Amino acid sequence: MSVLATITHFIAEEGGVSVDSEGIVTHSAFWPETAEIIYGGLASIIIFVLLAKFAGPALKKGLSGRTDKIQKELDSAANDKAAALTEAATVRQAKGDIGAERARLLAEAAAQAESLVADFDTRLEAEIADLHTRAAADIETAKGRQSDELRAEISRLSSAAAERAVAESIDDATHQQLIEAFIQKAGSMAGSASV
Amino acid sequence: MNDARIEGYAKALFEIARAEGSLDEVEDELFRFARSYESSDALRNALTDDMIPAAKRQAIVEDLLGGKATPTTTQLVSMVVGSGRGSDLPAIIDILVARASSSKNLEVAEARTAVPLTPDQEDRLRAALANATGKQVNLKVVVDPSVLGGIIATVGDTVIDGSVRTRLDQLKARL
Repeated sequence: MSVLATITHFIAEEGGVSVDSEGIVTHSAFWPETAEIIYGGLASIIIFVLLAKFAGPALKKGLSGRTDKIQKELDSAANDKAAALTEAATVRQAKGDIGAERARLLAEAAAQAESLVADFDTRLEAEIADLHTRAAADIETAKGRQSDELRAEISRLSSAAAERAVAESIDDATHQQLIEAFIQKAGSMAGSASV
Repeated sequence: MNDARIEGYAKALFEIARAEGSLDEVEDELFRFARSYESSDALRNALTDDMIPAAKRQAIVEDLLGGKATPTTTQLVSMVVGSGRGSDLPAIIDILVARASSSKNLEVAEARTAVPLTPDQEDRLRAALANATGKQVNLKVVVDPSVLGGIIATVGDTVIDGSVRTRLDQLKARL
């Protein structure tokens, strides 16, 4: 077969129609018939036009709404991010504040502790001084008491000794002298008796 | 015992003694017994112990005073002790003595001495106290060894103290 015949045969095969040697027409396995292509194309065009006319706006509106929604979500995400950043800044600031507050409280506690220690030292010194004073006073009191007790004991012993000595030294003559002296003394009072 | 009951007993004893015609002697004996009662814990405990029957207490009184005091004195003390008023005996007797003295316009004068006084000393002391107080006195002498020496005389509220005991106490106070 010549080259030309081969191309023609190929085109014919590509056109979907082949004709065998007996004149039997066989449709292409790939290509529809021309009329079908025309009708199908027109129908497709009509469908596309109808879709463009009736479904297009809704589709467009849907796409637009989805775009808006996505945009809103993006905006919301941006806002959330901004809020989060703000919150993070606040937290960081608060953290800084907490640190400062902690430092302030620690400083205050240290100052109070120092003050308490100083106050305690002062009171302790005063108490020790007071104890010293009271101890000294107690010692003096004890000395005085012992002295008083000693004096009382000496007095008691002296009195007992004097009484015994007097009792032993008073004989009958002395008794009579004392009685006579009393009678004379009472007799001389003359209405001026005193207790 | 309340004062009214003590007064009642004293008045009763006084009337009995006066009716018996031995008031002076009885009141003098009662006075001495009262002073002995005050100075003796054993006697005081025996005559005031409720655990001892009244008859036993009266027997003690009669043993003590029998033959040493007039029967009237013994019976009066026995009566008071038997009635359970032994603890009020000194108060009853003091009122009786004051009443007896008052009936004779006398003031009771108590003289405490370490040794007994002679009758002459009692007369002179009576006169001296009358001179000192301006009142006639019914002298009651109490021998009290704790006086040590001298006399402590009490006439009513007046006390004349010339005792060695008081001088020793003053010395002790100064010490």
